[in-house]
Order: sequence, then C-alpha cells, then structure tokens
Amino acid sequence: MKKFIIVLLLICLVLSFASTVCAAKLRFAFMPGIADPFYFTMEKGAKAKAEELGVELIIGEYPKAWGPEYQVPILKALAARGDIDLLFTAPTSTEALIPVLKEIHDSGIPVITVDTYLGDGDYTKPSNYNFPLAYIGTDNFLGGQVVAGQLALLLGGKGKVFLENTNPDVSSVMGRELGFRAGIKMFPDMELVGVEYCLDVQETAVAQVNAVLQKHPDLAGVFGVNVFSAQGAYQAVVTAGLEGAVKIATWDATEILIEALKRGEVDLILAQMPAEMGALCVEWGVKHLTKGAEIPKKVIPGFFVFTQENVNDPEAQKYIYK
Amino acid sequence: MAKSNNDFFIDFEKLSRNRTILLVGRNWALIFLIFMLILFSFLGKNFFSLNNFNNILLGVSSLLLLAAGETFVIISGGIDLSIGFVMGFVCISSSIIMRDLNAAGYSSIISIMTGSLVGLLLGLIPGFINGFFVAKLRVPPFIATLGMWGIANGLAWRFCEGFPIGFLPLQVRDIGNAYLAYFSPKKGYSFLMKPELTERGDILSLVKIIPISILLITFILVIFAFILSRTRFGQHTYAIGGKVDAAIRAGINVPLHLIKIYIISSFFAAAAGVLLVFKLNMGVHTQYTSSYELFAIAAVVIGGASLTGGKGTIWGTLIGVLLIGTLNNGLMMMGLPIFYRYIATGCILIIAILIDQFFPELVYRE
Repeated sequence: MKKFIIVLLLICLVLSFASTVCAAKLRFAFMPGIADPFYFTMEKGAKAKAEELGVELIIGEYPKAWGPEYQVPILKALAARGDIDLLFTAPTSTEALIPVLKEIHDSGIPVITVDTYLGDGDYTKPSNYNFPLAYIGTDNFLGGQVVAGQLALLLGGKGKVFLENTNPDVSSVMGRELGFRAGIKMFPDMELVGVEYCLDVQETAVAQVNAVLQKHPDLAGVFGVNVFSAQGAYQAVVTAGLEGAVKIATWDATEILIEALKRGEVDLILAQMPAEMGALCVEWGVKHLTKGAEIPKKVIPGFFVFTQENVNDPEAQKYIYK
Repeated sequence: MAKSNNDFFIDFEKLSRNRTILLVGRNWALIFLIFMLILFSFLGKNFFSLNNFNNILLGVSSLLLLAAGETFVIISGGIDLSIGFVMGFVCISSSIIMRDLNAAGYSSIISIMTGSLVGLLLGLIPGFINGFFVAKLRVPPFIATLGMWGIANGLAWRFCEGFPIGFLPLQVRDIGNAYLAYFSPKKGYSFLMKPELTERGDILSLVKIIPISILLITFILVIFAFILSRTRFGQHTYAIGGKVDAAIRAGINVPLHLIKIYIISSFFAAAAGVLLVFKLNMGVHTQYTSSYELFAIAAVVIGGASLTGGKGTIWGTLIGVLLIGTLNNGLMMMGLPIFYRYIATGCILIIAILIDQFFPELVYRE
C-alpha cells in the first residue's frame, strides 16, 4: 500500500512537472459580453493574433443576453479553471463586475477590459476599479465627433442635421451624442435641429424621423446612433422618397446596414474595429507577461468609415461584423 | 357646484342632469382631440398638413390594433398584458419565415404570404392559452397574461437573439408603405405606385392619399366595431364585464366566450406584428416593446372604457389612440423634449380615470 502511494505521488510529481513545462505556452481567456457579431468578430481577431504569437486562447461561453446575471456565472466558471495567465473581457456592467473581476485579479490573473469598462473607464486615477491592466476599446465621444466630421464632409459643411438616439441612460450612446454635438459645433454652417430617443423601438424611430422631416423639409442629414435608430431613420427617409437627399450616418457595420448602404439608403457607417480590439488584447497581454512591458491604460484601436465608394473594396470587407 | 357652504364636494348628480355637461363629459376625449389639433396647428410648424396626419396615423397604427383587441378584453372585465410581446413574437417569427423562404429560392409572393399567414395563425395560440387559463382554471387575467408576457418575450428573444431580422424581399416594404393614391403637380395622379421623382422640391410636394395599411386597419376595425355593438357576441361581452353572475344566469357560456375574447386580443396583436414587418421590412423585438401594452390599455381607458369592465367602445378606443398619437406628434413638432411628452400622456390618463371615477353615469353605455 505504501509503495502504491509513493508511486502515485511520483506520478503526480512527474505529471505536474510536465504540466509546468507545457505551461510555458501562455494561456489567455476571453469572456465576451453577449452572443453577437461584434464579439464574434473580436474573437476572430484575437484568435488570429494568438496563433501568430503562439498563445493558447480559451473562449468563455457566449452569454445569450446582456447583463451581469448572465455573464458572471460563466466568468466565474472560467476563472475557476485555475490555469489561465490573463483574462480579457467585456464587463456587462460598469459597477456589478468590479468585485467579480477584482477577485479574479487578486487570485493572480491580470485582467484587461475590452470594448466596455469598469467605473468611468479611467484606470489611471486611484479608485476601487483601477486594477485592470488596460481598457482596450472605442472612445464613443471620439466616434461621435468622427461621424459629425464625416457627415459634414458629405454635406459640404452646411445644412440641418438631426440625431436619433436610443436610451438616455446608456453611457455609450450618450457618449456618441455628446461627441456628435461637439463635432457639429465645429462647423458654423451646420445646425443640429433636434435629438430624439426611440428607446430601441424602431417603429418609434420611424415616427420621430417622419416628424422631423415634416418640421424641417430642408433636413440634410440624420445620425442614428445604433442599429435600431439608424434602421428607423433610413426607413422613414426611404418612405418619404428622400434617400440620397437626406444623408443617413450610423454606427456599427452590421450586414443589414451594409446592405442598405449598398442600396444607397444609408450613406455613412462608422465601424468599430472589434477584430483589432481582440488582437490588441492578445498582443499587449503577451508583451506584458513575457517582457514586463507597461501597457497604456487606454488603448483605442480607431475606426473604419464605410461610404458608398469603399463599401465594395476587398480591403474593407474585414470590417463588416460577421 | 352646490350652493351650501358646508358641502365641500361637487354635486355630480345635479351636474349630470345638465345636458351640455352630459355631452361634454361623454365626449371629452373627442373634444380634447379637436382642441389639440387646433392648438398644435397654431403652435407647431408644418403640423397642419395631410402628410403629418398620415404620419400621426402611421405612427400609431400598431397601437391602434393592439388597443382594439384590448378593448374586448377590458370590456369583459379582464386585462391582457401579453399583447406587446405577442406582437414582437409574431413580428420575429413571420420575418424569419419570409427571410428563410426567400433565401431558399421561393418567390417573394409565396415567402411573404406564408410568413404573414403563419404569423397570424401563431398569434392565435397565446390567446387560446390565456383564455383557457383565465376561463377554465380561474387564474386572474393579470397573472395569466403576465405569464404569457414572459413566455412570448423569451421565445421572441430566443429566435432573434436581440438582433433585427433583415434580408426580407424588398416588396414587403413597398406593400407596407404604399398609399392608395398619389398626386404630383408634375406627374398628375397615380394609384398604388409611387411616381418616380428626382427633384427634392417635387418629392416634397407629392401628395399622398390614405396609406394602404390604414385602410386595411379601418376595415378590420369596422368589422369588429360591428361585432361589438350590433351582434349577440358583443352584447354578451358587455354582459360578462357588467356582472358575471347575471351573465351565467342568463345562460351565456362564459368560459367559452372569454376564450374567444382572448383569442381576438391575441389575433389583433399578431396583426400588429405582421403589420410591423411590412412597415419596417424587418423583424424587430427589443425589451422596450413591452411598453406597447401599457399604452394600449391607456388608450382604451381614455376612450371611455372602465378597468372594472362592462363599458367601452371601439370608436372610443380609436379616439384614445389618436389622442395619444396627436399629443406625441404635436409636442414633438413644437420641439418639446421627450421627457415632457411622457408627463403629458400621464396627465391625460389621470384625467381619464378621474372622469371615469366621478362621472360613472355620464360615460355609462346605454
């Protein structure tokens, strides 16, 4: 019996040694926010980069809906594996995910937040949420400004524009609104004639844009901040027969919106770069763990702007969310 | 107002004997609607125009259908909370069918027809289940339909995963947004087909007469208004809502009748869902679709129905829906932010309840 135990212990010792040898290969975990093309694209980008750098990438199960109640159980199960060198995740709540990720961080797994962030996203100042290595994702305010600038370019720097927003209590879309307002102000001949909130109900967005077209027959452009508001906006403009005359700008290159762009019903799509975000997480993670590199606390991968001219370019296809 | 000093309350009985007040009390919603139309015409830029009235009607078209169905349920003394999500569920289901059939190579007509019909049929199921639970198992309508609210939401969400269902045949949109007739100063009259115009001035001066979808809804509403006011089915609905015991003693098969009523309500929700597909050329379902049933209930109550049952009309509900739609559109045209529009709708609803509370004999259906 004693012999058996000794043999068993020896086997364990050998095995554990073997596993540490294997562990020379880094193992990263990615926990997405929700099952959607945006995060699928992010996974693709991360996977490609991981293969290139020889990192093993473990993907957490995609939550079926947005929210900590769906994400946290999967995240905890993922962390409980105990063999992960770094975690990058899109927290589904700026508050509720703080203690959960803090616990993972304290257990020795460095955390990067991607696409969404904890607290206000500023990890440079002292706070209870400044422990992640970095936030890698979009700056919504900057994106709003980019849309304003691109729309102004399409309109020749003059005309009335309107903003169709969704929910006044969501930080990302409000960031886009503030950025757009600031951007439009830079053009003295452009005027923002109104902002409406459709609460993600596309039918409401149609009614609201219809009313604006009625009130301002000379409206030149509309910025729909997400898919539902943009789809409602272009639907209203097309029904009025004004496609092309009223320019529609929107955010996120979903296949439906790209199709509408090809039909000439949408004029401008600002695409975030989810694949880039995923790749940056892997790249910076490797640099940090192998070379001890200091990651900037905020990494913004930039945007890609789709227009009718470039939508069919082979180079542009990779920015469509699929 | 009673003359006596120590009489603090208004003497409603005396008031209700005054014929003018009686008339105003009965038609306050209509009077308020006309008042608003006049007010907004002066205050809102470009409010008073055919185009804007089309916008108001199209903006409330789904709500109109939902509220019409809800009218039957509320008259019978029940409530149906599931209609907003049943609408979303049908919208998603029928758009998925249209998309997949079209992608599989079937002609647009077949895909569109199959999608619409299956959607309408699917919509009958939640109604039957609601009715069965309410009528046969005596589950309070609030709870039974709240259960269905969750089920329909979950199913719709599962099917679409939070995404719009696109890539439907484009004819869907052409049909859904067609008008009966168009008049262009340049090209003259045309029927059903929008004239090809390129100049912005010409496009803006195009006169569009009666949206097809509104025509269809009017047709359905007339039929159901007739059923409610002129048939035995309608009388029984009022009887059940007025006094269930009396209805049973009068020999009405109350459970069967209630099941039929919930199926009607659900059918209207399904029709609204299919209409939405045609309007948007897309299937959409988000969590905010759930505010639809509350606005539908509000419209029914503003239209003179009582939540305790026994009264209400389709005509009244139509006024209620138009009141909400006009208020929203008018305040929007005036440039009032969204927050105040919610407050305004809330105030109107409270007025409606107050009138229902204090003038019961005024609004009572004879």
